[in-house]
Amino acid sequence: MIIPVRCFTCGKVIGSAYEEFVKRVDMGEPPKDVLDALHLDRYCCRRMILTHADLIDEVAPY
Amino acid sequence: MKIDILEMTPTKAELVISDTNPMFVNALRRTIVSDVPKMAIDNVEFHLGPIMDEGGTAYESISPLFDEILAHRLSLVPVPTDLDSFIYRSKCSCNGEGCPSCTVMYSLNKKGPCTVYSGDLEPIGSEKFRVKDDLIPIVKLADDQALLIYATAELGTGRQHSRWQAALGAGYRYYGKIEIDHSKCDVGLSCVNVCPRGVLAKEDKKIVVRHPENCTLCNACTEVCDTGVIKVSGDPSKIIFRFETDGSLTAKEVLIKGLKILEERFETLREQIGKLEE
Repeated sequence: MIIPVRCFTCGKVIGSAYEEFVKRVDMGEPPKDVLDALHLDRYCCRRMILTHADLIDEVAPY
Repeated sequence: MKIDILEMTPTKAELVISDTNPMFVNALRRTIVSDVPKMAIDNVEFHLGPIMDEGGTAYESISPLFDEILAHRLSLVPVPTDLDSFIYRSKCSCNGEGCPSCTVMYSLNKKGPCTVYSGDLEPIGSEKFRVKDDLIPIVKLADDQALLIYATAELGTGRQHSRWQAALGAGYRYYGKIEIDHSKCDVGLSCVNVCPRGVLAKEDKKIVVRHPENCTLCNACTEVCDTGVIKVSGDPSKIIFRFETDGSLTAKEVLIKGLKILEERFETLREQIGKLEE
């Protein structure tokens, strides 16, 4: 749907990192380097960003 | 007890606590996670019915997400907290009605199509309560959709709900004690190469422990060593403690407040035991 505000497991705020992550990966940076640069050190926070399916634009018309 | 700071940034702290024991550090961990108070949005009022803009265009006050989900997302946004100037609403002189010494009001007014961010929350009153992390997406609005929201933030603890949890990722581990028998060591370097954390290094034809604070007691070096000269053990009296904050409070404030709460609690316990003896 839309990126969660916080990591489900540890509670770190990850919502603000998602848009920058998508932008930088689209420009060709390796996802690993972007996650490290955004200080997402734990694997719980990294999976929040990596595995997120952004579907809100598909739901919005309804 | 002695505390050395390995790292102290506004959102992250890593400390070495020596001459202590796991019970004390665990008490501190539990206190900073569940008992250090912070501000969080607790009550959200949604405007219902059409919203008009200056040109007279009518917007529907709905969004793609349910209002409940929106309120929950807003509650998780970290709100800057000043622990000295706020008290719990239930203990406030306003009798829980909400006044400037126990609540902060926010308003949010956005018209689609757009993305609503946490930075769109306008604090009513002082600008110092403006949300610092202003890029958290709250919801996306389509054409003809608009939001008019009044939200109130109040003080609470992590024990009540995770939105009031001041510290996150709090944990501790033993400080690594690595012993190398240099008389038998053949300096094969296999231990240096296998260590995933770069604890060991070669210096002057000898294996030395360069970063003991990074050791996670994984024992990879003892397993790979053919001569069996490395011994890794944890030291329960020396503990590495670390935690992060969400930006509402600084790591230093959380630590100091946590220690203060622990102190008060032990003080009440001491008083009550003192009464028993009389």
